Amino acid sequence: MVPEREAFARRSEALALDARRPDGVAYRSLPEDGGAVLAREFGLALREVQARCLDAGIVPERYARNLTTHSLSEQARLLRSRVVVVGLGGLGGHVLEILCRMGVGRISAADGDLFEQSNLNRQLLSSSLTLERTKATAALERARLINPAVELLADGVFWDFEDMETVLAGADLAVDAMGGLDDRPALQRAAAGAGVPLVTAAIAGMSGYVATVLPGQVGPATLFGTGAAAEDSLGSPAPSVAVAASLQCAEALGILCGWAPTLAGKMLIFDLADMTFETMQIA
Amino acid sequence: MIISVKCFATLAKFQPKDSDGFELGDGTSVAGLIEVLGIDPAEVKIIFLNGKHRAPEAIIAPGDRVGLFPAVGGG
Repeated sequence: MVPEREAFARRSEALALDARRPDGVAYRSLPEDGGAVLAREFGLALREVQARCLDAGIVPERYARNLTTHSLSEQARLLRSRVVVVGLGGLGGHVLEILCRMGVGRISAADGDLFEQSNLNRQLLSSSLTLERTKATAALERARLINPAVELLADGVFWDFEDMETVLAGADLAVDAMGGLDDRPALQRAAAGAGVPLVTAAIAGMSGYVATVLPGQVGPATLFGTGAAAEDSLGSPAPSVAVAASLQCAEALGILCGWAPTLAGKMLIFDLADMTFETMQIA
Repeated sequence: MIISVKCFATLAKFQPKDSDGFELGDGTSVAGLIEVLGIDPAEVKIIFLNGKHRAPEAIIAPGDRVGLFPAVGGG
């Protein structure tokens, strides 16, 4: 082992504590302040400190309840992933919240909007403190508060096709968290061009869908086209937005961990008015 | 024949009351069903027949499940 790695292993072991899961299984736990000490002493990004601890069998305590849904090596893999999130409104706010808390190491996101009062019913990043402010700034502040290990790039503009191509190069996954139909086909094309799987979703009233589009596959954006859509009259209530974002994250986190995408070429369609969920084949 | 019909989002108002036991003439296509329900065909963006995306010309068989989905883009 190289001396620096050896020193890191010794120091992280010294900072780790014995802990037990609620089911009694023992594990070595790295407290929050221990991670900060290691980052400072070794000049490493906190996300890399956490990933290296996981490599050595030490669980950063903030991810303790991710076990055993995600193994230690899968958690390290999440920390070493980069996800592109397009849109920081209803879907995007919840998606960002979940990906940060779950420990996705790098997130590149964009939204050119400011928060307005009609966002307050559902958009997690909107509040009396962030009204009239950019969604991107609110995202940066929120991410820093809930997980300082996440490196978030939040761009306060609407990306065009070329911006999407640039940001998607080398990314592991893209999340379509946009509102409306018009910009979704561009993201689907850009993700396909970059060879990046895309997890998309949309809602209208109590209905919505989530789908995974692998490069080259037909996606919902292809079938819907552009123009007016059902949410113009049915609105966007909080439960359907949060459900759709949650389903997107469950699928995205699995794909990042190397699990087979469960919704590739499919749409999971839900209707919270009668609580029906059905997976349909589209490709 | 008896079929089941589920209309989503803005199409929900066209969903028949007896949606799980909807009576439809034998050999009717999905396009025919859309007309029977009084839906503007331009509003139907995705048709599901027994869980698979199909064209409006697809013929419905007894016991089939039809899902009609409009353009949905909210977030």
